[in-house]
Amino acid sequence: MRIVIAEDSAVVRAGLAEILGDRGHQVVAAVGNADDLLTAVAEHQPDVTVVDVRMPPGYTDEGLRAAISIRRDHPKVGVLVFSQYIETRYTADLLGAAPGGGAAGVGYLLKDRVADVQEFVEALGRVAAGGTALDPEVVTQLLGASRRSDGLASLTARERDVMALMAEGRSNGAIAGTLVISERAVEKHVANIFSKLGLAPSDADHRRVLAVLRYLQS
Amino acid sequence: MYAPTDSVPPSSSVLMRFLVRSREYRRPKLWSAIRLACGIFNVVIGVALLASLQRLGSLAWLAALPLAGAALIFWTVYRLQQESASRVHELEQSRARLVDDSAARLRRIERDLHDGAQAQMVAVAMKLGLAREKLAVVAAATAQADLDRALELLDAAHCGAKEAIRELRDLARGIHPPALDHGLGAALTTLTARGDVPVELMVDLPERPSAAIETIAYFCAAELLTNVAKHSGARSATVQVTHAPGLVRVRVSDDGAGGARIEARGGLAGLADRIKTVDGRLQVNSPPHGPTVVTVDLPSRA
Repeated sequence: MRIVIAEDSAVVRAGLAEILGDRGHQVVAAVGNADDLLTAVAEHQPDVTVVDVRMPPGYTDEGLRAAISIRRDHPKVGVLVFSQYIETRYTADLLGAAPGGGAAGVGYLLKDRVADVQEFVEALGRVAAGGTALDPEVVTQLLGASRRSDGLASLTARERDVMALMAEGRSNGAIAGTLVISERAVEKHVANIFSKLGLAPSDADHRRVLAVLRYLQS
Repeated sequence: MYAPTDSVPPSSSVLMRFLVRSREYRRPKLWSAIRLACGIFNVVIGVALLASLQRLGSLAWLAALPLAGAALIFWTVYRLQQESASRVHELEQSRARLVDDSAARLRRIERDLHDGAQAQMVAVAMKLGLAREKLAVVAAATAQADLDRALELLDAAHCGAKEAIRELRDLARGIHPPALDHGLGAALTTLTARGDVPVELMVDLPERPSAAIETIAYFCAAELLTNVAKHSGARSATVQVTHAPGLVRVRVSDDGAGGARIEARGGLAGLADRIKTVDGRLQVNSPPHGPTVVTVDLPSRA
């Protein structure tokens, strides 16, 4: 993958570059503020960019706003936003930013997740390939804020687990691995979830993430 | 009314310093009452002397003495009232500055934590994660006991680093939730989505209150929602933030067991104290069997 990193902390920036370089990926630019990020993305057209939410000069949501404008102006570039905090408002902004809204090529993770190198690089790969990577806490908050509690209550505990992992953007294989069940069982759960929530079934990973997220946010 | 100090307010004139003993500032009401009583006594004496002017003869001028004394005493009382009013105004202003200042300082501490310790810990955890992976490959290939032990240590350090990041995050969020930079609505959206009890949130604030008021309103809602989750057994709760001219009202209601009271040293009493620092008000309406409605009224400027 060709990657642009935007992170104001030099130690974290260097650490990310090291991890990704170690995995054989190419970090084409590593910048420390939002303006440089936009310039670097326009210049290099990377597969994916890793963006910290808080960056100079205001240290509020400069990174998020840059990420939203990249989603709008460069729809082919995957955007993985990572942050010390998960804010429900940011999730809504980020998922609604692409033309027509959607979750393709977008990720939102807590910064802690980079400590689990393998998982982080997998998530980044998913985003680069047009998939989705949402932090478990993002999904918890979406479930907490959802007004569809009646529909959600009709799911069994296992179906809720599967739905949470699905909303994180994981494939059937990954869900099966995490829950230690067979892929066939995952497929059955997914079919049940879609019929209980009244959603049209969909095979493509990112389409079904989109369906679930739309359901939670409506 | 005055701060509990022995010193006379610096604005006092020389005459006032002569007329008013410093200890009086500790019991202003008592001393005002004594003064008024003395003044009235002097007036009575003066009037009595005036009534018997003929009998006094050449000593008639003595009648003027108690009346002059009464005038001086009443003037002193009047000046004391004026001074205390301006002092209250000064204290209100300096308290508002302190409240704003401490809100700004907390925000700075949170930012310093974010830029410093949190970033360092993330970098450390990342390196430990990478080292652990590399060592795991070698350990699996060679099967040496020492390497396995090193891997265990690395594992423990990795977990500890991740735990430290989580704790730092919770600590920083407890000091100043970063979403407050985007207003009460944004911060409460996250707060209400994180809880165990489903919360309906309504925010109607056309204008942003001052930062200190936003902070107090946020922590009131957080504390009240914690109470709902801990004590009420409620199935759902509502947080409403509304406005009136010069006023922000936060109302948290739940359908739980009720019976909440403001008890000395309890959570609600602590909240009431915090609200009082900006002249706000806390009202609890919680009959047995519920529902509980807690209303917090805050001025929109500290």
